[in-house]
Amino acid sequence: MPRVQTKCFDELEYSPDAVFEFPAGIPGFEAEHAFVFLELPGTHPLMFMQSLSRRDVCFILLPVLAADRDYELDLSEEDLAALRFPAGSQPQIGKDILCAVTVSAADDQRPHPTVNLFAPIVVNLKQKIGVQAVQTQHSAQHPLRSEGREEEAVAC
Amino acid sequence: MLVMRRRAGESLLLGETIEIQVLEICGTRVKLGIVAPDSVVIQRMEIKITRDENITAARSVRQQDISSILAKVTPQPAASAAVKELTDANA
Repeated sequence: MPRVQTKCFDELEYSPDAVFEFPAGIPGFEAEHAFVFLELPGTHPLMFMQSLSRRDVCFILLPVLAADRDYELDLSEEDLAALRFPAGSQPQIGKDILCAVTVSAADDQRPHPTVNLFAPIVVNLKQKIGVQAVQTQHSAQHPLRSEGREEEAVAC
Repeated sequence: MLVMRRRAGESLLLGETIEIQVLEICGTRVKLGIVAPDSVVIQRMEIKITRDENITAARSVRQQDISSILAKVTPQPAASAAVKELTDANA
């Protein structure tokens, strides 16, 4: 199993199946083209999106439906093409795609943690390719609160 | 905010050197042409919002923040088959 230096958890083994390619990077991190999605014991339902080339680039992710159970993803034709889905298709969260939002911790500017519903991370589970898909109808700083009930599975 | 009505083919000036041309209007979309000096940065607003939030989010990943974020979310059963859960040996 390959290993990666992580920002918060030292060196970890990871499965090559959990690596996703971001051909254009993501805004602010255009040079990062490969991220491994890590789930760690004790931090569920959070995931960590760790750059394979820069140890200090890592994001905390939450499945979008855990952040907003009524979230509706509307992928643009450009994002569908970047994810290698046919034009006009509607990939399903949890089946065809993983859709998760970045989490920002509380700081001087924000009293509580927030999630970015404006620009979720979307990956094609089969093709192992990802984009950050802008959804202008949603907020970039949505207050974080759990939307899932206990014992209820949330597709991500 | 200044509001101005323009038709396709018309344009407006910002200062002396920046020209915004309305090239085409098609349904809900407007095609704009922008003439500006090289020193002027032009970017889509949604990309700037996303970049700023990504930089903040990347800065958030610290041990103490993870526990405070975790406290905000209810425990739920594992959901993603694509992401392999790491063994305790790695923790």
